[in-house]
Amino acid sequence: MPRPPAPNPRPSRSDRYEIRVDGHLSDRWADSFPGLRLRRDADGTTVLIGEPIDQAALHGVLRRIRDLGLPLLSVQRAPNAHP
Amino acid sequence: MPSQLVTTKLYAPPHRSALVARPHLAERLDAGASRALTLLSAPAGFGKTTLVAEWSAARATPAAWLSLDEDDGELSRFLLHLVAALRTHDAGFGEAVLAALNAPQAPPTRWLLAELLNALDALEADLVLVLDDYHTVDSADVDAALGYLLERLPPKLHLVITTREDPDLKLAGLRARGELVELRAADLRFARDESAAFLREVMGLELAPEDLAALESRTEGWVAGLQLAALSMRGRDDVSGFIRAFAGDHRFVVDYLVEEVLQRQSDEVRDFLLATSVVDRLCAALGQALTGNREAGALLDTLERSNLFVTPLDDRRAWYRYHPLFADMLRARLGQQGPEPVAELHARASRWFEAEGEVAEAVDHALAAGDIERSARLIEGAWQAMDSAFRSSTWKAWVERLPEADIRSRPGLMVGHAWALLNAGEMEAAERRLQDADELFEAAGDDVELRPLAGTAASAGAYLALATGDPAASVAQARRALELLPPDDAVGRGVPLGLLSLAHWANGDLAEAYAVMADAMDGYLAAGNLVAGLSGTFALADILTSQGRLRQAARTLEDALVRVGAVDDVVPGTAELHVGLAETLRERGELEAAEAHLRSAEALGEPAVLPGDEARLRVAIARVEAGLGRRERALELLDEADRLRIRTPMPELRPGEAWRARWWLELGRLAEAQAWMRERGLPDPDDARYLREFEQLVAVRVRLAERRRVAEADLDDVLQTLERLLGGAREGDRRGSAIEILVLRALAQQAAGDPDAAAALAEALELAGPEGYLRTFVDEGPALRPVLREVVRRKLGGAYARRLLAASDPDGAAPPPLPDDVEPLTEREREVLRLLASELSGPEIARHLGVSLNTVRTHSKNVYGKLGVSSRRAAVRRAEELGLR
Repeated sequence: MPRPPAPNPRPSRSDRYEIRVDGHLSDRWADSFPGLRLRRDADGTTVLIGEPIDQAALHGVLRRIRDLGLPLLSVQRAPNAHP
Repeated sequence: MPSQLVTTKLYAPPHRSALVARPHLAERLDAGASRALTLLSAPAGFGKTTLVAEWSAARATPAAWLSLDEDDGELSRFLLHLVAALRTHDAGFGEAVLAALNAPQAPPTRWLLAELLNALDALEADLVLVLDDYHTVDSADVDAALGYLLERLPPKLHLVITTREDPDLKLAGLRARGELVELRAADLRFARDESAAFLREVMGLELAPEDLAALESRTEGWVAGLQLAALSMRGRDDVSGFIRAFAGDHRFVVDYLVEEVLQRQSDEVRDFLLATSVVDRLCAALGQALTGNREAGALLDTLERSNLFVTPLDDRRAWYRYHPLFADMLRARLGQQGPEPVAELHARASRWFEAEGEVAEAVDHALAAGDIERSARLIEGAWQAMDSAFRSSTWKAWVERLPEADIRSRPGLMVGHAWALLNAGEMEAAERRLQDADELFEAAGDDVELRPLAGTAASAGAYLALATGDPAASVAQARRALELLPPDDAVGRGVPLGLLSLAHWANGDLAEAYAVMADAMDGYLAAGNLVAGLSGTFALADILTSQGRLRQAARTLEDALVRVGAVDDVVPGTAELHVGLAETLRERGELEAAEAHLRSAEALGEPAVLPGDEARLRVAIARVEAGLGRRERALELLDEADRLRIRTPMPELRPGEAWRARWWLELGRLAEAQAWMRERGLPDPDDARYLREFEQLVAVRVRLAERRRVAEADLDDVLQTLERLLGGAREGDRRGSAIEILVLRALAQQAAGDPDAAAALAEALELAGPEGYLRTFVDEGPALRPVLREVVRRKLGGAYARRLLAASDPDGAAPPPLPDDVEPLTEREREVLRLLASELSGPEIARHLGVSLNTVRTHSKNVYGKLGVSSRRAAVRRAEELGLR
């Protein structure tokens, strides 16, 4: 059965995001990104992923990435397990 | 009280000798120094600040410097430091702006920016101003203000901005005009020869070419990475091995390198670095308080000498800070030790800052330590100081980080929060907070210790009620505040007294408004506060004028000017005194003296204006200008006032829109005045409120002007409205109001052919004569002369009436007849006029009306004559202007 298309992101709504940065980030940074796990991929990048967050929280994460000077590679909305 | 100036923010970071020369970047910065803006936009650790500091220090005139931080998001604080930075080069720069920022109430942003631009215009030599770390500000207010300045930036000032993200400053426009020089990450990264020079000169390392290449490709010319790598390599035997391991590792560059660097430090240095990373600035004493290490001062020296990312913040090397990126890395490592040690460090920092009297940092660290009790106590105690330093919004942000239950358990927090919400214009939230506070005060019974606080809460309630249009509730709250506040707290009592007076005023109870305001002013003067003590004088004179006590109004203003004259400094509020006096002098016909006071107010300029009064003062000036015949100027001043207006509890007794309508009328722009009148639904005989009196009287004038056009127009509504207003004015003993109402009634009765017109005017003369009123009568022009003549003929007004009659003689010195004094058109003439505005030809119009072409020509000629024009087109245009349809 075809899945219904995912609704567009709205400010009021929380989604799961996968945020990919360059370089392997050690677990000590987990505290800097509350609610997000760090997954180190073999290509030398790190993916931040975790609980659904809203737009404001997403921007907070991006700002933190900016302040750490982490090269940002991509931000993607992940399929939501519990819509 | 001024927002506190942090002088270390004006200190350009010292440049070390032996840094790498980067002539191509210096050239770009040189080019930027003749443009409006140079933007260095790149991620952390690209050496933006170092590059600018080094370039600036090498110039004949170093740049003025401002290191920004989060607190600069508050616009007044940002502007205060900006002006202070410019004053490091030009000691007298921006006195007016500085004075305004130090005044007890913040002036409107527009005014501040206009004044700042004036000061910048007056710069004699070119000046570069560096705004370092602009991304930390993160404030739409500051972006908007800086964008406004940049669009109009005088040619002598050149801005350099360093930031981690592109600011919202309309960069595209600047780029298009060639006013922008940009240096981005790609420009800032170190080329291989520069990396080699950096490692050799700064870090004392000589690398083999292949090692250099590997290091460069791993750090991509990112200088923070290079510096960390160099620190890790120092003293190592196997440098190549280190670089190979580093190059082959996937770890985030800084993560890897900081680990390496820290491992190579002694335990003492490592512990010191980690513990002190919790504070944004650091001195030896604070370092010792945090770590217990008595050698903190010596350690700081060592850190600086070994390039461990520590920068002095002043010449004496008292204060330091870590490079923000390095500090972040240290904090992440410190965090691994668990939450308790971090909280303990913040608690120590909070205690140290509190002992030093640095409340803001004490609060920040108490909140970071999660010590709610301590935070709440500090925040509660900081309200007064923060409020008077215009940092109410910072204070509000602190409170709002506390759990609701803790706010509710402290009345001081609740009342401060209510005022902070009022300052921020959040009326509904303020109301809810005040209700919470009231419940608490009620539950506490009549606790003597809580009385002053309950009084402050009632003051806030009075402010809220008046600002939301409920004068009656405001009176009740203000009275309650006065019962509760201690009798010796003159300054604290001034707030409810002033509000009480304004509420009485808005209700039309002028005697009470006067008594209460005078009481408040006496309190301020007795407490030695001249500025506050004179701040109500203009309002007092206004009240006296409405009461028809013109002479006492003039005396009050003159006395205040004498007090002000005895002080050396320019006293804010002096301009208002001059303008108030100009109006009373103008009314009495002393036009030259009125002009002189108007010019004095202008010459004193903005420092002589009370902050918050800018709009009101312009309306007052406009009124005098219009009264002296300069109505176009008056209309311009109203536009200016609209731009400067801020929300205050001051009653809007004479709204700018009503003045505008009145001057349109006097300029013959009847159509616009009519549109205003229709929109306001005036005149309204059922609304006798004093608050609407001025608007009603302007509407009455519009109706009288219409009547002059159309002789048969009905004036019943006008007469009824005037009757009601007159009743209100007599009841409230507002003789000034009564005089104007009676004059208008005389005009309306005269127009309606009522022989009682002379009696109405005689009554006005009786009230006005002893006070020397003149222009109220003369300014009505020829329309009032027949009534005046009748008064004289019936011997109702004595010598005063004869004097007014002579003064209003059009052949004498009276103003020229107003253009709205056109002879009314007949019904037929108006019909012809309407057809003239159509496409119909003359013969077609004749056919349409069923008359001969000659008759149409005769009517047209009459219309042209009455309108003072000589062509069909001009007649149509003029009719349009006059509102004839």
